[in-house]
Amino acid sequence: MIVSGAALLLAGAAFLVYDLVTFRETMASSLSIQAEIIGSGSVSALEFDDTRSAKATLSALKASPSILSAAIYTSDHRSFADYTRDPEHRMPLPPEIPAGKTEVQSFQDEHLILGKAIPFQGKTAGFIYIESDLTELNDRLTHYAGIVAGILVVSLLAALLISSLSKRAISTPVIHLAEMVRVVSREKNYSLRATAINSRSELAELIDAFNEMLSQIQERDGALEKARDELEHRVAERTAELAAVNKELEAFSYSVSHDLRAPLRHIDGFSLILAQKYGPALDAPAQQYLKRIRDGARHMGQLVDDLLGMAQIGRQEVVRKSVDLHALVKDAVRDLQSEWDGRRIEWKIGALPVLSCDPNLMKIAIVNLLSNAVKYTRKCEDAVIEADHFQQAGQTVIFIRDNGAGFEQEYAHKLFGVFQRLHRSEDFEGTGVGLATVQRIIQKHGGRIWAEGKVDEGAVFFFTLGAHDRQSGRDSLR
Amino acid sequence: MKPSLTSVYFRKPIVAVILSLIFGVDGFLAQQLSEYQVKAAYLYNFGKFVQWPSGAGAGNQVFICVLGQDPFGPILDAVLAGERIQGKGVVPRRIAKAQEALDCGILFISSSEERRLSDVLNTIEHVAVLTVSDIPGFSRRGGMIQFVLEGKRVRFEVNLASAQNAGLTVSSELLKVAVMVRR
Repeated sequence: MIVSGAALLLAGAAFLVYDLVTFRETMASSLSIQAEIIGSGSVSALEFDDTRSAKATLSALKASPSILSAAIYTSDHRSFADYTRDPEHRMPLPPEIPAGKTEVQSFQDEHLILGKAIPFQGKTAGFIYIESDLTELNDRLTHYAGIVAGILVVSLLAALLISSLSKRAISTPVIHLAEMVRVVSREKNYSLRATAINSRSELAELIDAFNEMLSQIQERDGALEKARDELEHRVAERTAELAAVNKELEAFSYSVSHDLRAPLRHIDGFSLILAQKYGPALDAPAQQYLKRIRDGARHMGQLVDDLLGMAQIGRQEVVRKSVDLHALVKDAVRDLQSEWDGRRIEWKIGALPVLSCDPNLMKIAIVNLLSNAVKYTRKCEDAVIEADHFQQAGQTVIFIRDNGAGFEQEYAHKLFGVFQRLHRSEDFEGTGVGLATVQRIIQKHGGRIWAEGKVDEGAVFFFTLGAHDRQSGRDSLR
Repeated sequence: MKPSLTSVYFRKPIVAVILSLIFGVDGFLAQQLSEYQVKAAYLYNFGKFVQWPSGAGAGNQVFICVLGQDPFGPILDAVLAGERIQGKGVVPRRIAKAQEALDCGILFISSSEERRLSDVLNTIEHVAVLTVSDIPGFSRRGGMIQFVLEGKRVRFEVNLASAQNAGLTVSSELLKVAVMVRR
């Protein structure tokens, strides 16, 4: 509104100035023409010194009410004849016509005086001066200014009206639409719709298009949600199926292990009776065979026990508690004392942290790892077993290091498989279930276990307990 | 600024200023411009308002002739010196017979010819010569321009019919300042 008002005002002022200039020019040129006519009509009067005739010619100016006075001067600037509209009026001293010019204009307050040479036959016969009233110009200017002001007021009113109409027709729906877009993008609510307007304008089309777009988004959203739901449903189904199968498998392996024990007990029991009652009667090779039967039965019994233990661990729920790992390791070392009695082992147990884990399962894992270390350092003169921890990528990594037999790094991934062994039973006895059990326990805690080793130089087992490893409230954010 | 009669005397501005100081402008004009000085200037001025038919006159010159006893004397030569009418040089000429006036542009007939006026006018009746005289009744008798005196002012009558008969075109501007026009 301010802009259009200013523009109108400027345009009005420009018109006014333009009109003033053109009107002045027009006036001067019309005066010049009149001067020319009167001048050429006065030539003979000047030539024959006939003032009367010149006066008669000048009196023709009565027809122009704006001409106040006029005068004819001889070529030697003598006053020759004059005319005044109002007898009281005296013509002001006429301006001098500059040398080399034939015409001069002089605007003085309310008057314009125009002077012009009268040419005749290549010479100047005399001069004519006409004084014109500028009140007409001023009146016209005032009138014009009034018209401009009127137009300005009317235009402003019209602009106001149009602006309010256009606000109703354009601005309001646009603002509404913009607000709707903001709300939709903020709340992600695609069920909203912009209010349609009753017109066939582009704006109505825009609003329709926007609403249609919202509908499409909503539709797409619905389809996406449905697909996600279906997927979730299917995953849940599969998980349930998998869990059921797993449970069945565990139940099966448990029952198999359990059922295997009864025939084993028979073999063991009757071979013992055989050895005790009939041992002396048997010759040496028979006794040897009997011993091998008994060894095999015992080994198998061990295998079955280990498998049962693992199956039990698999079924067991993890019950997390704050566990002082340092104390737990010390306990385990004491428990294992029978395995390393008589050997010299240097135990290096670091300041192990308190962890959130299942104490029973963790004990089994640690005992297994330490037992392994003890077993594989058997052939070392100066065995060193170390248990400590470090921080890596915000996680606490626990490790158990020994300087025993070690293994080839390229087979490291086989260490944790059930019944997988990297050493011959003749060198190091074992069932190949221990590390598998440890891995099971660590995985049940959401952690990870891995190993590094070198033949005859030792092995290191690392594990983390995942996100829950630290006791809550202590460095948990690191 | 010679065409107007006053300018003749203002050609030398210093002289004009001194004379003006002595007599005042109006007094100077009234006393100094004799009747024949004014008439000499008018004689030349008439030429500026008259159109001759093509082929008339004497080539590149316009003769202003005085027939009979010359009332102007050196004044005429002074007024006409260096002047031009419609691009042609103006030359004063004194003649004794009307027959000599056939190639004149303007012919002043002296009052000495008053008795022979009809013969003179007859001789040049259809010749494109502007006839001027101060003989009383000149314009009535078929002369074209007759000087008359209104008090001390020199005025003139025009016989337009005579001029037109001779093939001359007289400007309406000239008729405007004439005291009488015969048509």
